[in-house]
Amino acid sequence: MTLNFLELKGLHKKFGDITALNNVSLNVSKGEVIFIIGPSGCGKSTLLRAVNWLTPPDKGEVWLEGDIVGSLSSKLTIEESKLLNSFRAKMGMVFQQFNVWPHLNALENVVRAQMVVAKRNKAESEVKALKILDEVGLSDKINEWPDNLSGGQKQRLAIARSLAMDPILMLLDEPTSALDPELVGEVLSVLRRLVNNGMTMLIVTHELGFASKFGDRIVFMDGGEIIEEGIPEKILKTPKTQRLKMFLEKLNITSFKQ
Amino acid sequence: MNLEYTIFIDYAPTILLGFWLTLKIVVCAIAMGIPLGLFLALGRRSNFVFLSFLSTSFIEIFRNTPFIIQVFLFYYVLPFYGLRLSAEYVGILALAAFGSAYFAEIIRAGIDAVPKGQLESARAIGMTDWQSMKNIILPQTLSIVIPPLTNQTLTLIKESAILSTITVHELTMTGLMVQGETFRPFEVFIMVALLYWALNETIATIMRRFEKNINKNRNTGPTNNSSAILKQNENTR
Repeated sequence: MTLNFLELKGLHKKFGDITALNNVSLNVSKGEVIFIIGPSGCGKSTLLRAVNWLTPPDKGEVWLEGDIVGSLSSKLTIEESKLLNSFRAKMGMVFQQFNVWPHLNALENVVRAQMVVAKRNKAESEVKALKILDEVGLSDKINEWPDNLSGGQKQRLAIARSLAMDPILMLLDEPTSALDPELVGEVLSVLRRLVNNGMTMLIVTHELGFASKFGDRIVFMDGGEIIEEGIPEKILKTPKTQRLKMFLEKLNITSFKQ
Repeated sequence: MNLEYTIFIDYAPTILLGFWLTLKIVVCAIAMGIPLGLFLALGRRSNFVFLSFLSTSFIEIFRNTPFIIQVFLFYYVLPFYGLRLSAEYVGILALAAFGSAYFAEIIRAGIDAVPKGQLESARAIGMTDWQSMKNIILPQTLSIVIPPLTNQTLTLIKESAILSTITVHELTMTGLMVQGETFRPFEVFIMVALLYWALNETIATIMRRFEKNINKNRNTGPTNNSSAILKQNENTR
């Protein structure tokens, strides 16, 4: 049996009475692009945040390249939390609200974590940052402050910040949901490049068109569980479960209204 | 009322000597109080229950008792524990402790005002708690807390007048003594008030400039929040 690149085993998470994750398991191969869809509150963001232990699961395990991420118990030892930080550096995370750092200009946003976490020197970090900012189309904005950037530019900056850490996996939590419709395209085109470069990605999204075109697999979640998963064709065209059918119908109705 | 102008000239050196001591005491108290406040703020937010409990107790005790009582306690109780300090040093300690409780609450509110996503993005990229604080959260806290910290500093300077009750020969004490010699309260206390005013106005101006400098590169940013915290801080008095 080949080793899975990323393996989620029996993840559970409760927030008070609400079950966000209920026995979720998922295997991801290297280079796979997986889109996670589902109604709001279904646990898809929690799943993504459990992968890098930003929201530690109550129960369950996360394995990356054969190493356990976080801990088997829900409390981390000092050694484990050190290891966790090095795992996180390898797993780039992109947030719906961008979360770029407003007190640092664009270049410094991409440089800072390289110096602090990866312990690269300033010159090296800047060379890398300039290269990546160019790749995401922000080479003319390197001295700009985040507050002066558009939403699409902020999100591309956030992606660049993660890419500078040489991630082997990208976790994207609704990367285009907070954007004006006309700005979605520029972020998607950056993501498309990542797909073409063979980056392994978990993407929570409502962009079904993008998911069907670039996803290797779509995972549909509801009520903290994975209800259905499979290739986009199968999930979107011939849904097996009633819940997925209803979800897709609702999305179609809203897109008609638009 | 006739002003006796000669008093301004004759007693200026004495009064200035008191002012000089006030300045030294206040500078020392602030230099100790702000770092202690930062430590208490971080301590209060800490996951270590013991540290959090100690910091919270310290803050709540010093915030919720009159400063003059704290000064008396420091002055009369410390010697019982073998700590014999001159009144000036007791004054500095009392002022630093009192100030740090307020500084801590201001800094804590400032840290909380930084959006949660900022810490999450720092942690998600692999920074430790402390690295995130130092690189991402505290720099953003700074521009938020400067106005209320300034405010608290000015209050502290005015509170230092209370040290006259434990025989510290600072500005207010000197004023009282000169007035006892001259029986000219108006001239004397005008001088004293002007000196407090000049010191505070200077600090306020410097801090305003500093604040502008920090925010000049940023269109929006947390400057809007700072006035809210300022108000909140004033309400808790």
